[in-house]
Amino acid sequence: MASAGVGVLSAPARPAQAAPRRPRRGRGERGGVRGLWFVLPFLAVLTLFMFVPLGYAIYTSLFTTKLIGGTTFAGLANYRQVLTSADFWDGVRRVLIFAVIQVPVTIGLAAFFAAIFDLGVAKFGRFFRVVFFIPFAIPAVVGALMWSFLLLPQLGPYTRVAGALGFPGANYFSSTLVLPTIILVVIWEWTGYNMTILYTALKSIPRDVVEAAVIDGATFSRVILRVKLPMIKPAVVMLVFVNLVGALQLFTEPSILSAFQPQAVSYSFTPALYVYNTSIGSGEYNLGAAAAVVLGLVIGLISAGSLAWRRRKGDLA
Amino acid sequence: MMTAPPPAEPHGWAARCKAAATKRRERRAAELANAVPIRLYGLRRGTVTALTLCAALFALFILAPLAWLVINATKTQANVYNTFGFWFARPFTLFHNLSLLTQSMSGSGVYLQWMGNTALYAAVGAGGATVLCALAGYGFARYRFRGSNALFYLTLSTLLVPITAVALPLYLVYAKVGLINSIWGMVLPSMVSPVGVYLMRTYIAASVPPDLVAAARIDGAGEVTVFRKIAVPLMLPGLVTVFLLNVVAVWNNYFLPLIIFTHSSSYPLTVGLSLLAQGAGTGTKGGLVPVLIAGGLVTVIPVVLLFVLLQRYFRADLLRGSTTG
Repeated sequence: MASAGVGVLSAPARPAQAAPRRPRRGRGERGGVRGLWFVLPFLAVLTLFMFVPLGYAIYTSLFTTKLIGGTTFAGLANYRQVLTSADFWDGVRRVLIFAVIQVPVTIGLAAFFAAIFDLGVAKFGRFFRVVFFIPFAIPAVVGALMWSFLLLPQLGPYTRVAGALGFPGANYFSSTLVLPTIILVVIWEWTGYNMTILYTALKSIPRDVVEAAVIDGATFSRVILRVKLPMIKPAVVMLVFVNLVGALQLFTEPSILSAFQPQAVSYSFTPALYVYNTSIGSGEYNLGAAAAVVLGLVIGLISAGSLAWRRRKGDLA
Repeated sequence: MMTAPPPAEPHGWAARCKAAATKRRERRAAELANAVPIRLYGLRRGTVTALTLCAALFALFILAPLAWLVINATKTQANVYNTFGFWFARPFTLFHNLSLLTQSMSGSGVYLQWMGNTALYAAVGAGGATVLCALAGYGFARYRFRGSNALFYLTLSTLLVPITAVALPLYLVYAKVGLINSIWGMVLPSMVSPVGVYLMRTYIAASVPPDLVAAARIDGAGEVTVFRKIAVPLMLPGLVTVFLLNVVAVWNNYFLPLIIFTHSSSYPLTVGLSLLAQGAGTGTKGGLVPVLIAGGLVTVIPVVLLFVLLQRYFRADLLRGSTTG
């Protein structure tokens, strides 16, 4: 523990440090199963409400149900149908475009503000940090609703301002602009959360590292780009994974926006919408299950990637 | 540091709990003093102003929709569309709009009921998640047992699996076992919080000294007593953070309740509002817009209030634990 030495210097009365060193006990009690009792309730709920449903979805996806003839084993036919469906790939392509824009912009903005608040080079940093974090606590449904009204064709206040600035008649729910609109809403929702994580990562960098750089004559921007950012690279990479997973399950914002302009958001606008509309919407549960499994697999792969990356970095020792 | 004599060692584990809490506070104070004074960067005075201006602009971007929400909750439907969005207009109908929330809206259910549902789901779901996370985090952090590593990796492997990916699978199972429209169908999966377990394990490893646990055991305390009387008080800030994160997750969850509830009387606010939006947006139901906006405002207030109230316990640095370790 790096902080132990500092702790002794500043608080000599601390008992645990002063006591004679005992043989290390590792993480805690060895042997026995008493620890298992603490872990068991969580594992039970995890199994029943995550592993069992996922297993059952895989099972369901291997059958087809017809009005006449009932349920028959279909092998991988549902997967074939999902993977050859132009609509499904259309949704996949859309969330990828979404991710390619949203992830860097969100993390870039978050990193910029985290850096200037961390260095204290902007005033009222504490206040701004609280404000930026607020959208995290606001339901995506409400966030999307507010933005829908703000960008309402002709009537929304932002639309009017844009009209006054020389973009009259822009329809932010049209099929060409609806994706940028969703990106805007998601950036509004998630930048503060990303910033908070990067800010705490920056705060944990020891002061002497920065001091040394400053004494060596590093300028302000060099301190940020060459000293600080490389040190929070693990946090940034993990945020890329987290945001990517978030992008793949894009659902709430497009489905709320579609209430205002139904034709702009197709039934397969995103993979999650495809899953919802094929199963709950049109009752093709076997097909929907296959799509859900495909989506889950992709997310699982990204998860595994992030886990492997952490292990390689020794984060999960 | 090895040679220092043990000075005035506090007796009993209650006193040592207090010592550990003091240590935490000192560490935070040290963190605050950890910033390099800005003058060292040799910045021009204009730079600070410019950067502050950038932050202010972004704050405006964040706050403007919320200001719009507050202002327009006081307007009639016609005024929402026809007057400037960022200023008030007569007549001032905030209280009328709020009273509409208590009424049944052409068969689509009662807002107040959705509110009650959301509060119930959030309280039970987040409360249960917090208890499970505290137990499991403690089990993983302070015990080693056969398979403990494997089980912890199993938990980690689900860290990024979102509820969206599980929602339809859950629906399929619920349809089989009759959990559609059941509160348990919503509450129990909300208790699954691998991130929370991971956060609690990290937090307990850092804040519940193993020596303290051992000392209490020697004093004759049982495992459950040690957990309740020693571990829980020490992990309180971590628990509050996990609780808040889970309240937000349940309060804001949309996909799962949308799929598993078919009766509008079981809807939470998010699904209820989207139902209203469908009506208001397509214009099939007159006068729904004020209800929608006032309803949105009332949906937002409790979570924001909760964050403000519990802010001093909220450990933002734990959020990082969820992404970096």
